[in-house]
Formats: sequence, structure tokens, C-alpha cells
Amino acid sequence: MNLTQEKLNDHLLLQVVGRLDTTQSDSFEKQIMEILDQGHEKIILDCKGLNYISSSGLRIFLIMQKKMMGAGGQFKICGLQPSIKEIFDMSGFTMIFSIYQDVDEALKA
Amino acid sequence: MQKIRLRLVNKIGELEKIHDALESLSDEWGLPPQLCMSINLGLEEAFTNIVNYAYRDDAQHIIEIDIALEGTRIVIEITDDGQPYDPTKADDPDIDLPAADRPVGGLGIFLIRKIMDAVQYKRTGNKNQLILTKTINQ
Repeated sequence: MNLTQEKLNDHLLLQVVGRLDTTQSDSFEKQIMEILDQGHEKIILDCKGLNYISSSGLRIFLIMQKKMMGAGGQFKICGLQPSIKEIFDMSGFTMIFSIYQDVDEALKA
Repeated sequence: MQKIRLRLVNKIGELEKIHDALESLSDEWGLPPQLCMSINLGLEEAFTNIVNYAYRDDAQHIIEIDIALEGTRIVIEITDDGQPYDPTKADDPDIDLPAADRPVGGLGIFLIRKIMDAVQYKRTGNKNQLILTKTINQ
């Protein structure tokens, strides 16, 4: 798993690439918490390079959503691969996240 | 019937061996990538649950995973010597709750049941045995 970040207009764009399994989730959570502590108002998480997620990764997505909502911010997810989207659907996550096709669509929303 | 056995210790890092084994099986048995991902997910959730919750001591334990190709089905048997635990009896999380009310965690067992076509549990002697079945849809 690799996480990169860059400023894109008024958003912070995060890109996660690789596998988000239980062996990776601690490192991912630590990086995400540091980013959330910086107080960004609008975050896009681009998942087009994410090819595997388990419940330990989903857990961190939910924490992000709760923290961003609690702070009055916007958290947008985009680029979900069909297999990952299926896991989101199963978990009821499709309804609780703002999910977009790609970064451009997420930026405009 | 083709079959492989993995003998793993109760450490999360062993998940990499599960992933590597499934990558090899994907080639050897000609399994679709989507199916391998589902099996990987089911196995990860079951294995992680055992490592995190099954043992009351800090000792090393062996967790055995048998993966078999039986016609058009993949049958996985996971055996551990932890405390008795039947995941088929776990309550489902409420997936209709809004984000603010959703508890963090508790999705692992639920995902196993959603992904697999059948989940059976047996307690034999001091061993838990979880049997996961997935039909191959080519």
C-alpha cells in the first residue's frame, strides 16, 4: 500500500495504491490520522489504484468519514474498482460515503 | 481433487503467505482473479479473527488452512486450537445506519458470510474448524 497527497484547487487529493489488508492497516491509519489532524476542509480519496480491501481498511474509511463529518468537512471517494465497489455495496458503505467516478467529478461536486 | 495445505502461526504477518499461496493457485488451477480476491478476503477475515481473539495465552499456535478444488467448488477448511467460537452465530451489523451511528469495526465475520456461498462451523475436541465454500462461476 502506498499513500500520496497533493493539493488540488481547494481540495487535498489523496491517492491510495495497492492492497489495504490487515498487515497494512496500521500504517495507513497512522498516515490518515496525521492528515486529518491538519484540519483539511475538503478531501478526495482516489482509489483507482486500490485493488484489495478488507474490513481493517474499511474501518479506517469509516473513521475518516466520521471525523470529516464531525468537523463539518467534505470527504469524497472516487475511482473505486468494481471489485472494491462490490465490497462497499455489501457493507452498506455505498450509502454513507459520497462516491464519484473520478477525481474530476469529485472536484466539481 | 487438488488440494494444498498451509501451516501458519498465529501472527498477522502470515497473511502474506495466504496471499502468495492464492496467487500461485490462481495460475495452477486457472481461477478467475475476482474469485481469488474473494477467497483472499474470506480467509483474511477468518485468519485475523483467530489471531486477534482465539487465544488467551501469548504462546505460538498453529493454524492450518486446507484449500481444495472439488469440481466447480473451492472448499477451504481453517483449523485452530483456540477457544470455541462459532462465527456462523455472530450477529450481523446493521448496514443501514448512517455514518455517524455506524460502529467502527465488526464487519469481518459479516463479509465472510456475504462473500462465501456456505460457511459451516464444527468443534471437534479442542479444535475449531471453519469450512468456507465458494462456487466457481466462470
